[in-house]
Amino acid sequence: MKVKRLLKRNEFYVALIIVVLSLLIHAKSGQFFTANNLVDLARSLIVPGMMASGLFMVIASGNIDVSFPYTAMLCMFSITKLFQIMDYQGPVILGFILAAVIGALLGAVNGVLAAWLKLPTLIITLGTCTIYLGFTQGVLKSSVISVLPAPLADMANTNLFSVRSAATNLGSSMHISIFLLIATLLIVGFIMRYTMLGRGIYAVGGDPVAAERVGFNVKAITVFVFAFCGLVGGVTGLTQVTLSGMCQINFFDGYEMTIIAAVVLGGANIAGGSGSVFGTFLGVLLMKLISNNLILLGIPTEWSKLMTGVLIILGVCVSAYKMVSAERKVTSNILKAADGEEAAHE
Amino acid sequence: MSDILLEIKEVSKHFGGVTALDKVGLTIRKGEIHCLVGENGCGKSTLIKIISGFYKPDGGTICFDGQEYSSLDIKQSIQLGIQVIYQDMSIFPNLTVAENIAMNYELYNRRKLVNWKNVETIAKQALAHIGIDIPLHESVGSLSIADKQLIAIARSILYNSRLIIMDEPTSALTRREVDKLFKVIRQLQKEGISILFVSHKLDEVFEIADQFTVFRNGRLIVSKEAKNITNEQFVFYMTGRNIEEEYFTADHADVSSSLFRVENLCLKNGFENISFEIHPGEILGITGLLGSGRTELAKTLFGMYTADSGRIFIEEKEVKIKSPMDALKLKVAYVPEDRLTEGLFLTQSIENNMIISNIDRLRKKKGTVDFQRGNEDSKYWVKSLGIKLHELKDGIQTLSGGNQQKVVLGKWLETSPKVLILNGPTVGVDIGAKYDIHNYLRKLAEEKTMAILLISDDINEILMNCNRILIIKSGRITGEYKNTDLDSSRLQVLITEGEGAEAV
Amino acid sequence: MKKKLMSMVLCVLLIAAMTVGCGGQETPASTGTTSETESTDTADGGESYTIATVVKDMSDPWCLRHQEGVEAYAEETGYNCYVKGPSKTDSAEQIQVLENLIEQDIDALCVVPIDPEACKPVLAKAREKGIVVITHEAEGFEECDYDLEAFNNQEYGEAMMDELAEAMGEEGKYVTMVAFLSSTSHNQWMDAAVAHQKEAYPNMELIPEERIECEDNMDMAYNKAKEIIKKYPDIKGFLGASSYDPPGAAKAIDELGMTGQIHAVGTGVPSVSQPYLESGSNPCVLCWDPALSGKAMCQLAVMILEGNEDQIQTGLDLGIEGYNSVTVDGTNISGNAILVIDKENMADYAF
Repeated sequence: MKVKRLLKRNEFYVALIIVVLSLLIHAKSGQFFTANNLVDLARSLIVPGMMASGLFMVIASGNIDVSFPYTAMLCMFSITKLFQIMDYQGPVILGFILAAVIGALLGAVNGVLAAWLKLPTLIITLGTCTIYLGFTQGVLKSSVISVLPAPLADMANTNLFSVRSAATNLGSSMHISIFLLIATLLIVGFIMRYTMLGRGIYAVGGDPVAAERVGFNVKAITVFVFAFCGLVGGVTGLTQVTLSGMCQINFFDGYEMTIIAAVVLGGANIAGGSGSVFGTFLGVLLMKLISNNLILLGIPTEWSKLMTGVLIILGVCVSAYKMVSAERKVTSNILKAADGEEAAHE
Repeated sequence: MSDILLEIKEVSKHFGGVTALDKVGLTIRKGEIHCLVGENGCGKSTLIKIISGFYKPDGGTICFDGQEYSSLDIKQSIQLGIQVIYQDMSIFPNLTVAENIAMNYELYNRRKLVNWKNVETIAKQALAHIGIDIPLHESVGSLSIADKQLIAIARSILYNSRLIIMDEPTSALTRREVDKLFKVIRQLQKEGISILFVSHKLDEVFEIADQFTVFRNGRLIVSKEAKNITNEQFVFYMTGRNIEEEYFTADHADVSSSLFRVENLCLKNGFENISFEIHPGEILGITGLLGSGRTELAKTLFGMYTADSGRIFIEEKEVKIKSPMDALKLKVAYVPEDRLTEGLFLTQSIENNMIISNIDRLRKKKGTVDFQRGNEDSKYWVKSLGIKLHELKDGIQTLSGGNQQKVVLGKWLETSPKVLILNGPTVGVDIGAKYDIHNYLRKLAEEKTMAILLISDDINEILMNCNRILIIKSGRITGEYKNTDLDSSRLQVLITEGEGAEAV
Repeated sequence: MKKKLMSMVLCVLLIAAMTVGCGGQETPASTGTTSETESTDTADGGESYTIATVVKDMSDPWCLRHQEGVEAYAEETGYNCYVKGPSKTDSAEQIQVLENLIEQDIDALCVVPIDPEACKPVLAKAREKGIVVITHEAEGFEECDYDLEAFNNQEYGEAMMDELAEAMGEEGKYVTMVAFLSSTSHNQWMDAAVAHQKEAYPNMELIPEERIECEDNMDMAYNKAKEIIKKYPDIKGFLGASSYDPPGAAKAIDELGMTGQIHAVGTGVPSVSQPYLESGSNPCVLCWDPALSGKAMCQLAVMILEGNEDQIQTGLDLGIEGYNSVTVDGTNISGNAILVIDKENMADYAF
């Protein structure tokens, strides 16, 4: 029974693909299961992992948000600029709190528009993301900040531990911001699984009218998911600064699509109501495995985009195929069900 | 202490210029099963929404357990112990059975966190309470409508429920499932819970209700005991007119020729060896329980499923139907079971819905659409089917269920089909419109140009309107009868017990 | 319902379009007013010229440096020279800026086009009106009086390779990086560099991946470099065409603990590469000084306006560092203004 339930879960298949792909990369390059590569992999998951868990909530509620990379960008530049202008020397945590507040406010704008105007959220967030981009360019006049203020620069150089692979003599350090990823995953996981708010998000994603009837505050939930996604976006923006040691306007270019793809790969239905934060994390892991190992797999540069696209489509097709084929087939066996039904009634 | 639980006094509600409710009243006693009946658009659902706190009334008072309110809100109504089970059941297809049942309870208790052990225990208790067994971890989307209905009931009794309102709970259930539901309802009654039961079906009202109330056009017509009332009286209260239906007999049927013939049709997991023939002038009925394969058969004939083996003939010519496109080209029309999701474009106007199936024929030389002709065609069908509407340009959602169904029928008839398949054509349709549709079908049959296949679980509908009746059970045809040889109770037995019963 | 939805969608789109549009038009206007006031009077009794320069992106330090040069030139000569440009690297917005300028009374237009092909119509219109058009960073461009390059693309590629070879000790594996596999100049540089290596440094070896695409994004350059190093732990050099490639690769080198063993050389600006010039992972970066090319463009424009076009021949001295003996090939002019920046001299270049 347990095994059967496991086999039904999307996460199982994503995990399976991840294992196969890892073994394949290792077989091809001998480089996958080395200490420094695993640390690098974890490090590369920080930013997309955080963004995806924020977005997962939005998708689970049956909405979509394409503005979060721009929220991240705006927070990244505004906090860094602010620190620069103020010549701020205090603890860096203030920056993260500010980023979270700004991000949450920007997200709440999306949420309020979505809850009251009842427009498709794709259109709303397409609009707001252009506004956020315009603000960053117009008001902050920013495309690059290469010298970071002291608190951010210090954090950029703070690592938890370093490892070195004996074979290649390559070393890697685990950046402190991995804690932010872990915290985000745990918080989102907890909210979605163990709070009524989280169950409400699933309920709204499943059927918003029914959710309202059983007594959920659908508007509040909508605002919450967008605000939370914005909050995570803001924090992620600043995290990226400390990881890269600089700000560049195109850091998050194309993130909206890859992150949405990762969430969907992780088993969340794009129409809402399903998925888990664990699945989302696996989805991100799979995306990163693909995009960061094309060279190790020996795929020529000219073909890398094609490969990434094909893999995304394949991944999404698997879950879509299950739905479509279920629709075209009579799933429960009517011819046999009769005997069972008879027995149940008597 | 008074034994009155809910008293509605002089409640009115207007939407724009339309009066949905005009100073209506309703009294429900404790532990009473009260039936609220009326045609679609009579104000039943508006009243339910006022009781559940979805709408605020424009006037009047709501008196619950001695306490007077001018209006309620959703949470307040839930706190008072009022539960509504809507027609769509408002359950979450993406969540498990256990969670669906326990969710309201947790919300009711204003919990912030979810205790999964608790959820399971609550769900188990609730299901045990009404004496049914459904696997707790199944996702609800994969369950049958009947099971969903029972889950919705299990969910609603978890509060200190005082009043459970059920909006047409039986419309998608088979007789057997209805019996099961009634058993549960009577048990709730014994526990002192009042039930407000909204229904179209007269026999159900006689069977279950203590008291009944009839609404018509937003007004209260009558409210009295259900015991001493005749069918004719009842129909008159509801429609304001006397309607009688006679058995349809295809006396003039041309048995020598065939319009539509199916031989040994099989679909994996669905049905096997289905064979039948429709002659000019006939209406062939197919009936069976929910899950007997009747819907699968209908969908296969329209190409939504692809049959694994068997042959289909239209006017003696063998055809292959592999997709709805094929079916359209072969002039097969399908009026689906669920008009809202399968039959109509809900955001479009009445007119657009009317012409859509016929869009190819309205194509002008340049490839543009001849809307002028479409408009004329639509007007013709509005007239001949007696569709009540304000304007053709209005949204389809402004129409009542009965009129919507007439639009679906009209749009298919406009394609001048050779085969007309109707699957539950009068589900959720009020009595007046239902008889209109039946009469129209009879007229069509007399023209002898169209093969008409009526699939339904409404026993009276099948019995009255089909000259021959096939009974399907577990994907196999178990018998063929002339309608004049049967009555409703006999047919009922045949459907549930199959051919075996006949021998007894 | 449908109609209402449609109109709302249109509103949102309109607002979105307006915000972008406004941002675009506002910035050049404001920068225009600040610098226009600087010089209005005639220089030394001679004729005064109005010369407008349009850069790629007014928020980029690189373009600000360009502006510095133009303003210095205005001060030296007394001509009315000013700089305008879009608020971000957006070709459509740049064309709008150009359209607005040619409606005004200007004598010459110095342009650094984002997308040369797209600029053709508007520049043709400018020339019809008798405005002298000088372009930059658009070698081979035709719709101009002259195109001035800081250097010959081939020489620049070769110079980059010389610097990389020196850092690598003229041996070992290396790879090249560009912004996009479709960027013309980046690929010209890299083609020249690789050809030069094959000829002059036979002990160096280009790995099979040959050319990595990093989309002008330092984070991507960093990730790709990491991957390359893992696949080829014995790699010794990265040659980057985009100014974000060398610092990105250098960050990867530093993090993997390979500083001093792997080097990243290529186009770069001091403001971004500074930490890696210090750490040594960027032994040096190459570029040209946009202030000087800005000056040179204006000077070239003035020569044409003064009717001295016949003097424009190979060997001409524009009187500006790096442009003391330019090469002229038809309408293509190139200087030898390659600038090599290392740890020692980086403080002199604030861009």
